[in-house]
Amino acid sequence: MTQALISQFLIGFSVAAILVIGAIGLAVIFGVAGVINMAHGQFIMVGAYTAAVVGQLGGNTFLAIPVAFVVVALLGLVVERGIIQWIYDRPLETLLATWGVGIILEVLMKVIFGPELYYVGAPRILDGGVRFIGRLPYPYYRLFLIGLAAVMVLATLYLIFRTDFGLKVRAVRRNRAMAGCLGIDTARIDMLIFMYGSGLAGIAGAVLAPIKSVSTTMGFSYAVGSYMVIVLGGVGNLLGVPTGGFLIGEGETLLAYKFNSVIGQLLVFVAIVIAIRVFPRGIFGYHERR
Amino acid sequence: MVMAGSGTGGARSARRARFVPIWALLLGALVVALIGTFPYYAGDSSYLLLLLGKFLCFAIFALSIDLIWGFTGILSLGQAVYFGIGAYFVALSLKINYALEHPTRYGNKFPDFMEWNGLKELPGFMTPLISTPLAVLCAVAIPTFLAFIFGVITFKRHIYGVYCAVITLAESLILQEFIIEYQAYTGGFNGITDYSNYVGAPFLWFILAVTVAFFLIARALTHSRIGTVLKAIRDNDVRAEFMGYNVANYRIFVFCVSAFMSAAAGALYAAWVGIVSFLDAGPVFSVEGVIWTAVGGRATLIGPFLGAFLVRGLEFLLSSSWLANYWQFFMGILFIAVVLWIPDGLVGTLGGWLRKRRRGTLEQIREEQDLLARDRQRDWEPAGAPKAGEETV
Repeated sequence: MTQALISQFLIGFSVAAILVIGAIGLAVIFGVAGVINMAHGQFIMVGAYTAAVVGQLGGNTFLAIPVAFVVVALLGLVVERGIIQWIYDRPLETLLATWGVGIILEVLMKVIFGPELYYVGAPRILDGGVRFIGRLPYPYYRLFLIGLAAVMVLATLYLIFRTDFGLKVRAVRRNRAMAGCLGIDTARIDMLIFMYGSGLAGIAGAVLAPIKSVSTTMGFSYAVGSYMVIVLGGVGNLLGVPTGGFLIGEGETLLAYKFNSVIGQLLVFVAIVIAIRVFPRGIFGYHERR
Repeated sequence: MVMAGSGTGGARSARRARFVPIWALLLGALVVALIGTFPYYAGDSSYLLLLLGKFLCFAIFALSIDLIWGFTGILSLGQAVYFGIGAYFVALSLKINYALEHPTRYGNKFPDFMEWNGLKELPGFMTPLISTPLAVLCAVAIPTFLAFIFGVITFKRHIYGVYCAVITLAESLILQEFIIEYQAYTGGFNGITDYSNYVGAPFLWFILAVTVAFFLIARALTHSRIGTVLKAIRDNDVRAEFMGYNVANYRIFVFCVSAFMSAAAGALYAAWVGIVSFLDAGPVFSVEGVIWTAVGGRATLIGPFLGAFLVRGLEFLLSSSWLANYWQFFMGILFIAVVLWIPDGLVGTLGGWLRKRRRGTLEQIREEQDLLARDRQRDWEPAGAPKAGEETV
């Protein structure tokens, strides 16, 4: 019993890692620009298709990660310049416009790649697993995901808190008007941060491709998971993403083990709603000045 | 004291909505008459009749979204939850009753999808649904109650805007997965089909009556004092709070009204169409309702009706042509186009345009604008400085 519980706990850890990988890009965009990208799931999907193409051309996941980052960041650039830059002051309508972007992306990818599923193999080095406890080995690929999640969070922290660009980002986030008065091109910061966040979604797609068949509709459930992570963790502090991801991932896995996955999701959702009653802006949320 | 009372009474009557113009009444009556007589010139069993009743249900659904989004500023991406719950209650009840008269292949008198999933008899908690009136009551009361609980949890803590949209979206997704998972009780992927539905003129009139009633309720609500407060909350909730209004309670109230309307629309839909599936409770349908409202024009009452009929009608026309496979693509373009170029929707944009026309000729408008600009400039200038348009020699 305890053994099974511990192994479930470890699996939950990797589920949390997947949530963090999916949510970090979204959190960065939402934290700075205040908009939520409803096409986030489709951005992840585009990243996964990029990985599939790289795989067909003979590359592996390690090659797919930078390629997907660039491809989806460029996609983010197009979306930001084409649509979102006009409606930053209407966050609710951004939801609708980006939902439309998501639909268009799904149709486009279906036209280009056809309705069939693509399968992407994990890199050869990450085959097999390590046996921590019990019979079942813990796949190396899951360990890789946990490591990658940590790297992505640390890299984002470094970018925001240790670079010149990050200083400007924080200035814009704290007080947009003042930052603009001091000569920071706030529109450019928004654009770059949107590209960065989109690129992270691309990475998420590239590393999720080997654990799930690649299809045009794969992204939506990941995206909803990411939204929940942000709602629970809050965007006031980047540590909200790993915290929220950990709580949701572990909660869903352990409850799914006890009951079933739908009940697990339902209970976690109820828990989240109750939690935001206590922390209305997420666990690490700050109370924005309006 | 008496004077004060009569004074506020006078102010209130002055604030009362403008009298409905006679052409609007006539036009409304004409539309209702056209829809009501549709079975006579289209035949009782035509596909268009089915479509018409369906569109009316969708229009009520869009109206319910308009009440919370257009008039109060709460964007819910999970309104289909209430529509879906209402629809499932009615569909289950009709299905159970249908099964009582039409036994399954093995002679059992309970819904066939339950039999396929290995149930031996109707589950005990579903037996009350044999009574259809009770099921209808459940179909509208339970969603309203759920909306109340949701409202108490979120709005009381000032959770609104993007957070509310995302949470409701997740709610909708979870309900959809719940329906698929518990297929023994909900029909799962196939939904609930094969029960006697009510297509025909009498039920169309019933739907039409409910639609008109909801329209009038919505009109009365939005043109009352409550409606004014709701619009104030939409435009600036902090200021509304400071003026002493309990913003959370107003939000909860309108959210419950909206959920009630959605649920009623779902109940009518299930009884009319004869098939209910998990898609009717899912996030895609929720967002579709929002886009109907946006296309027609939010914060107008005609807008949702127009939007639902236009978008759904367009979809129907396109789905029979070669464009059927790319319908989703146009839907996406529509989302973006509406948000970018006509954020007020068709009715809103048209109405604003007409109002501008009515204000007078171009000359008059220009003069008015000049005066306004002069006033504005006066506020900026220090005392003693030459006024705009003044000769300084």
